[in-house]
Amino acid sequence: MTGLAWSWKSLGRHRIRTALSIAGIAVSSAMLLDMVMLSGGIEQSFTELLLARGYQIRVTPKGTLPFDTEATIDSISGIVQRLRAEPAVAEAGAVLGAALYGRKGDSLVTLFGYGIQPEAQALYRLDSGADLAPDDTAGLLLSSPAARLLSAAVGDTVELVGRLDPQVATAAVRKRLAVRGMVDWVYDYKDQPSVGAVLTVIQGLTGRRTGDQGSLIMVKLSQDSAAASVTAGLRRSFPRLEVNSVADLARQFKQRLVYFRQLSYILGTISLVVTVLLIATLLTITVNQRLAEIATLRAIGISRRTVVGQVVAEGVLLTLIGSALGIALGLITARYLDDILTSFPGLPAAFSFFVPRRGTLTTAAVVLLLTGCVAGVYPGWLAARLPIAATLRAEAT
Amino acid sequence: MNDKIVHALRGVSLEIRAGEYVGIVGPSGSGKSTLLQLIGGIDTPTSGTVEILGTPIGALRDRELTRLRLTRLGFIFQRFHLLPVLTARENVELPMAEAGVPARQRRGRALELLTYVGLSDRADHRATQLSGGEMQRVAIARALANRPALLLADEPTGELDAATGQEILGLFRRLNKDGTTLVVVTHDETLAAETARIIHLLDGRIVSQREPEAPAPHPRSVSAP
Repeated sequence: MTGLAWSWKSLGRHRIRTALSIAGIAVSSAMLLDMVMLSGGIEQSFTELLLARGYQIRVTPKGTLPFDTEATIDSISGIVQRLRAEPAVAEAGAVLGAALYGRKGDSLVTLFGYGIQPEAQALYRLDSGADLAPDDTAGLLLSSPAARLLSAAVGDTVELVGRLDPQVATAAVRKRLAVRGMVDWVYDYKDQPSVGAVLTVIQGLTGRRTGDQGSLIMVKLSQDSAAASVTAGLRRSFPRLEVNSVADLARQFKQRLVYFRQLSYILGTISLVVTVLLIATLLTITVNQRLAEIATLRAIGISRRTVVGQVVAEGVLLTLIGSALGIALGLITARYLDDILTSFPGLPAAFSFFVPRRGTLTTAAVVLLLTGCVAGVYPGWLAARLPIAATLRAEAT
Repeated sequence: MNDKIVHALRGVSLEIRAGEYVGIVGPSGSGKSTLLQLIGGIDTPTSGTVEILGTPIGALRDRELTRLRLTRLGFIFQRFHLLPVLTARENVELPMAEAGVPARQRRGRALELLTYVGLSDRADHRATQLSGGEMQRVAIARALANRPALLLADEPTGELDAATGQEILGLFRRLNKDGTTLVVVTHDETLAAETARIIHLLDGRIVSQREPEAPAPHPRSVSAP
């Protein structure tokens, strides 16, 4: 009969009470796990998203972040050429993001257009069909939502309309493009209808051809480790542009989310305290119901250490079972919460608030295990300090 | 609150020799159980000394005293106090596990002791599945687990019917015959009459003792299994 087996049997004395306690611990553990995943998950998910295609540096108009404003970089093709000439740079590609319209029958539907340089694109993964060639000014890429909206498929022709602004009476520009492929745009929000064409096509549709404008440049380096030094060098070379590595962007993002993190820490701590109180209360009740039994054990020579160990083992056992269920519950609830949160407009669908990592799960498990031990301290102390003779006398009367 | 100090025992001087079968009797509140607890080292006197097997227990630290109770003394209680979640065998094994006896060895001894008290067929029954008499016999087996030099019983038949009480008396007789030193606190006149020396307590004092007619044997160790 090991200590844990003894504890297991002891917990089985009051099955419903034990089951309710385990359920309570599971819920608290699930909340703790979700909060731990949330506190580090957003930052990790953001970083992973930015590095999805392996591009480590973003060059944007001064004082802006990618797609933060409608500000653009002038003469972007020339800047890209200069960047590509840098020894540490493996690839560089310009991107122009703009609102467009697509014709569907007699009506127009709103789309988001990406102007890209296909030889150095970092925005999509090809799902079906063919990719654009760098000089393919007649080709188009569609996201699944855009294809649904336009009722178009690979091989179809789609008419895009730009510069349609009734308020300033700008004349519309039209261009018919053949759908080459279906793609998954990395930074699109859920159900975003996006289309992509080579940079010059989108520039032409949006009136940004003359100034050769673009929203940002994405830069891929030969070595990841060189990101910080290359970023610093590019800042010196292009003082009128904003140059940020993914690490810089993640840092800025983290600062913006500081309250979010604090909230998750507070909620996580509350769930931890609730778990400790729950286990401590249950064990204290258990000890108080077993005073005579504990006094007897002490009288027949069972040491304080064994008695305390048995009480703590009950706490640890409750925590282990509750935590195992809690981790499963936490992962399930995180998935559902993630679906809800990433449905908010403007958030990339690939973004995740709750990221389960081995380190996170291990941290949560260790913290919960310690919680079980801590929760057993007070009831264990009660059991250890029990006056044997007085308790046995009280029991006999 | 009245914080008046009550002396459960006063001026008690008592020596119990190896192999004796001693009964302690007296009305409720006379100090019988307190005397047994002092003898067993689970209570300490406000003045005076208690020696167990030649060791003054006042000089012992809690850990040493606990070890002494574990290895040299056996306790039997009125309400048995078995662990209800454990089987009869596991209850008997408990003190041996605490004493560090290897699992196989303690399992064998537990079965041997349960056979000795007539419960070999109930070894794997939980304590809650046993009758009062069976539980007390398991408690006796548990008390004998670490081959104690002295067995202390507090009202061992108090919760049992007459017939079952007789079975326990028979067991005590056999234990003493086999060399176990026994001290029994009891209200039970029949049980008291069984003992070789009866100590009468009243208001915390020994008022009379009936000494054994012949010297008791002095075995070096108990010969119960």
